[in-house]
Amino acid sequence: MVSRIEHHAVAIIATIAVAAYCWVYTRPDADPPIRSDGYNYYLYAASWVVYHDATLEAVANDWNGGAYADFAGMIRWPGTGRWINRIPIGVSVLMLPFVVSAHLLSGWSNLPKDGFSFYYQHAAGLAGLLYFIAGLWLVRNTLRRHFQPSVSLVTLVVLTFGTDLFHYGVNEPTFSHAFSFALVAALLALCDRFWSPAGWSTRHSIALGLVAGLIVLVRHTNVVLLLLLPMWRLDAWRLLPARRRDLGVAAIAAATIVAPQLVYYHWATGSWFVNAYAVHGVHFTLMSPHLAGALVSTQRGLFFWSPVLLCAVPGIVFARGWVLDIRAGALIVLGINAWIIASWSEWQYGAAFGHRAFIDCFPILAMFLAEGFAWLMDHPRLVPTTAIAITLATALSVAQMIQYWHHIWPTRDITWDQYRALFLTFR
Amino acid sequence: MSRTRLLRAGIVFVLLGAAVAYLHDPPWAGQITSGMRDWEEDPPGMRFRWTAGRASFFVPANATSMTLPLRAVFPGKDGNPVVVRVSVDDRWLADVALPDSSAWVRPTLPLPRRGTRRFRRIDLHINRAVVGAFVLGVMTGEISLQ
Repeated sequence: MVSRIEHHAVAIIATIAVAAYCWVYTRPDADPPIRSDGYNYYLYAASWVVYHDATLEAVANDWNGGAYADFAGMIRWPGTGRWINRIPIGVSVLMLPFVVSAHLLSGWSNLPKDGFSFYYQHAAGLAGLLYFIAGLWLVRNTLRRHFQPSVSLVTLVVLTFGTDLFHYGVNEPTFSHAFSFALVAALLALCDRFWSPAGWSTRHSIALGLVAGLIVLVRHTNVVLLLLLPMWRLDAWRLLPARRRDLGVAAIAAATIVAPQLVYYHWATGSWFVNAYAVHGVHFTLMSPHLAGALVSTQRGLFFWSPVLLCAVPGIVFARGWVLDIRAGALIVLGINAWIIASWSEWQYGAAFGHRAFIDCFPILAMFLAEGFAWLMDHPRLVPTTAIAITLATALSVAQMIQYWHHIWPTRDITWDQYRALFLTFR
Repeated sequence: MSRTRLLRAGIVFVLLGAAVAYLHDPPWAGQITSGMRDWEEDPPGMRFRWTAGRASFFVPANATSMTLPLRAVFPGKDGNPVVVRVSVDDRWLADVALPDSSAWVRPTLPLPRRGTRRFRRIDLHINRAVVGAFVLGVMTGEISLQ
């Protein structure tokens, strides 16, 4: 029975996600899917597909009298006068098939072929939703190789509903997180296969390179997650020279997919490598990270807003077998990633539900979650209490997400007093 | 390919074909707008929506003309009037000049003969937009159809 439910778990979650998407976007006061940062992520796709323009001038001219609204933070680069988008092209690249479909369908239905009308909005939104589901499917496949169906099922449910993943797959799907989640899930699956005794081909090397390149294209700082490959096992880095052909093919594929971003940066600014955020006054403070703020605070703390993730702790401490093999490397990668996230001067990542920046590494965290659940199941005395606690923590996360959807929570700087005052209030 | 797979592929093909045929002239197109903010009211009783630099909406295909209230609010570049280019189903219909930015202009525009669809798409292109927190083109009032 559990095995059958687990087999269909991703399909069941997908059905719930589509229903929630329909509910969110048919409310009278619904914002369109392409909004806030999602506008910047999507902007390239509209510019390329609808306006056949890589300079971002045509959208500005047609929609905004030659400029962009303040919220987009678009600037003309000093010296060249060309538009620079602080956000890279990766999400738009991943959205392309959806946006091309929307463009063709808009012509067929006689809807405006303007890049932002009905079909484009939902093509972009459903793209994020689909990548979220694809990510879950990839996580499930990796879990099933190493864990019992019951562990895989609990992990998928807890990861989806006990964290902010569902929110960023359904309500703000044009942000980068659903896309990064899917790519990192693919990276994890490819790393697992790369270090398996057999079954690796040139096709896999190309896939690894494309996934690695896209991870960097979607969010540049996620380049640290690529360390997962050489750090997969403690002895992995010593074995890398023997895999230089595979790595060479992957590197060529990665360079090919990253190249258009570098060309755009060079065209717009005269430099191949650009921190497009620098002109907005945000930066890294690597020597004074807000680790407590990013991990446990009421403002944005990962474990405060998604307490069920604490179940990963026994998975880390009591890791066995395959998880023990990958534990050290994965923890180093997660640690560096957390340090970088907490070092961003805007460490709350703007208006958000939970700490959205950590979603990108959830596929890695899911392995420790699963190991934690496996450990708990081996200790039957702990099961009743922890099952109740996990259910309550997951239900709390869903309730708080619905509160966020109803604009109950302040968008940032939530204090303990505010949290207590608004706890489980829905009006 | 097994018979079951062939049957499934056939069903998917038929459903996709039906969806594509349905979407050629969707009955809900009349409710679609693009590039227009929510309705506002100022003064009481005067409803309007701001456009961006471009906007689109639909009118029933059996309408023979429409009266389209427009108001610039912000003046055009170098003191020139704001001009709104109106097109129907991608064909130019009229250029409406708004020389007095504070006054409503209510041109009545003849619509071409009915096509094969339920609705006609009206596109507005404004020759200047004011950009700040939002992008503001012109105010459009409630359209009356004849």
